Amino acid sequence: MSIARILEIAFRTGRVTRKYPHEPPLLTPEFRGAVRVDPSKCWGCGACVKICPPNALSLRSDSGREVVLEYFVGRCIFCGMCAEVCPARAIEVTKEFELSSTSLESLKYGVAHRLVRCSSCGSLVWTEAELRAVIRSSPVAEEYVVLCPRCRKTRFARAASIRVGAGSE
Amino acid sequence: MSKGVEALVEMVGKLGGAVEDVRKSEIYIRVPREAVRAVAKLLYDSGAYLKTCAGVDERGTSGFYSIYYIFGLDSHGVDAVLKVLVPEHDPLIPSILPEVPAADWCELEIRDLLGIELSGRLTKRLVLPEDWPDGVYPLRKEFRYDEKPPRVVREELPEEVGIPVGPYHPALHEPEYFELYVEGEKVVDVVYRGFHVHRGIEKLAESPRFTYKQIPFLAERICGICGFVHSTCYVMAVEKAAGIGVPERAEFIRSIVLEVERLHSHLLWLGVAAHLLGYDAGFMHTWRIRERVMVLAEYLTGSRKTYGINVVGGVRKDLNVDKIDKTMKTVAQVREEFKKLADAALSVPQIKARAVGTGVLTKSEARALSVVGPVARASGLYRDIRKDYPYLAYRKVSFRVPLYTEGDNLARLLVRVEEVFESIEIIKQLIDMLPGGGIVSEEYEIPPGRRAVAAVEAPRGEDVHFVITGLGRPYRWRVRAPTYQNIPALRAMLRGTSLADAPLTIASIDPCFSCTDRVLVVDVRSSRRSFIKLVRGG
Repeated sequence: MSIARILEIAFRTGRVTRKYPHEPPLLTPEFRGAVRVDPSKCWGCGACVKICPPNALSLRSDSGREVVLEYFVGRCIFCGMCAEVCPARAIEVTKEFELSSTSLESLKYGVAHRLVRCSSCGSLVWTEAELRAVIRSSPVAEEYVVLCPRCRKTRFARAASIRVGAGSE
Repeated sequence: MSKGVEALVEMVGKLGGAVEDVRKSEIYIRVPREAVRAVAKLLYDSGAYLKTCAGVDERGTSGFYSIYYIFGLDSHGVDAVLKVLVPEHDPLIPSILPEVPAADWCELEIRDLLGIELSGRLTKRLVLPEDWPDGVYPLRKEFRYDEKPPRVVREELPEEVGIPVGPYHPALHEPEYFELYVEGEKVVDVVYRGFHVHRGIEKLAESPRFTYKQIPFLAERICGICGFVHSTCYVMAVEKAAGIGVPERAEFIRSIVLEVERLHSHLLWLGVAAHLLGYDAGFMHTWRIRERVMVLAEYLTGSRKTYGINVVGGVRKDLNVDKIDKTMKTVAQVREEFKKLADAALSVPQIKARAVGTGVLTKSEARALSVVGPVARASGLYRDIRKDYPYLAYRKVSFRVPLYTEGDNLARLLVRVEEVFESIEIIKQLIDMLPGGGIVSEEYEIPPGRRAVAAVEAPRGEDVHFVITGLGRPYRWRVRAPTYQNIPALRAMLRGTSLADAPLTIASIDPCFSCTDRVLVVDVRSSRRSFIKLVRGG
């Protein structure tokens, strides 16, 4: 008689298989897919690179004049930690998951950032976008903001010593 | 410390043990090398289970290698952690295997990975592959995590393997290999060879490549079925070691998701078991019901599997009214549908006939091997971490631990069927009591040199993580998954059963396989070898 019981369950349930891809997939509103980096918002600070567990995000510098934030979706585990730590809110977690491709290169996305040189010693310090964001968000004197941390310290020490009259260095 | 524990610690003291540190649920005892076997015997005879042992290269801090033996005093809810110092110039420990049969694998693992020799037992290579050079020990600190030592070609094959050509399936996520020795249809002996996918994650987590915050995601990938258990266990160990307070709401959310994971895991297993018994209608319908749980998991966490919501200090996703509503609706539906299906499936006479009396694990064998989870509970051992060492929100819910004494395949099946209903009740209670407040505490520091043992009841049994904190990342992170403890019991289960019952018996410990596995069958009379498929249709 057990066959009758399972048949009853089967008939009452009906068809449950979705004819994906001809029907939409079963996605909930909470689903996390691949991430998207908005090039107009990204500063190139590298916070996402630091937190990314599988190294799907990396900062690489080929020419020395610019850095590229590279997102390799083939390594991504869709955890969304990068979006959580991004200070510029440039990373968005999408619902994209149909990502298969025949070319490896099409799985890589890059955001290029020009680097800024220290106005005093000429070493490469940070990206233009990050510099602009800092100027926008904090009241930093502009002659300091274009300096590398070492030159900034030296200049500050010199200025301070003049003020307190402790003599020059 | 309760009276019973005090008396035990005093007896350990008489054998030379010195208490180093007493924590809420752990006691660390330093034991001289010569006394370790006697102390292990004392603890094991007094009812303690061996959770695992772990070797740590502490030459950088204490100047010694340390071996930690974690004994669970289940009836007291306390872990007794024995620490044995091993000098660098004389890397040898007496084996505790004669007293504690459950120590077999973890001792061999210490020998393989840390290069500590064992006296008083037979040794063989367990974890490292055949072509790994001798004298290179990956868990020593001077070994870099990304080092690739040259391969060694060996002329002689290890003696316990006859013909190791063939059936490793590279695409399986957990390849296993059993050699069954049969006389006619009866299995007379079993040799297991595993660790084909040993990924060295314990070493990886110590490397500069990883930080405390990233490891939960690594831990979650230890297992494709019970990954959340591993990430929870890791964060619990770190939180315990560093004394980080976790918001109560986060504890509840973790517990709810753990039970959702148990539901999906048990339903998956019950489907596979039905499939192995040739009852594919049962398989299809179990998995149809399971799909509801998968969709719920995605709605609660953002992902069907590898939920990714655990961080040190709490969780990343909160529950809201919609999610609570959906959870209650889903578990009610699952309960109703699964009840009907389980009744229908268990009334199939062939199911019972195949499962009754096959693959028997007696209580004494189960005890000797310290088996865990449904395997232990089906053999009459009352063991459940949620009851013995209440963690997260489990001390606030009431539930029953299914217990059977037959120790056969049917008992293991019934334990899981009943646990499905218990999990649903737990989820309902947790949702009812869900407290308010934040879900993560971000203000914390993790000082180096702290230790902690954390255990979580995974669907397959007790999962144990042992952490020694370091700077920015753990100094040592030892993981012991439940299957590690249960596979050695297969030998006892398979001996004497008929070959046709072997696939179900192997599956009955829920050893993480979901695809085609194969066994090598050797007829001891004719020495003829042939392969059979463990799961049909793979």
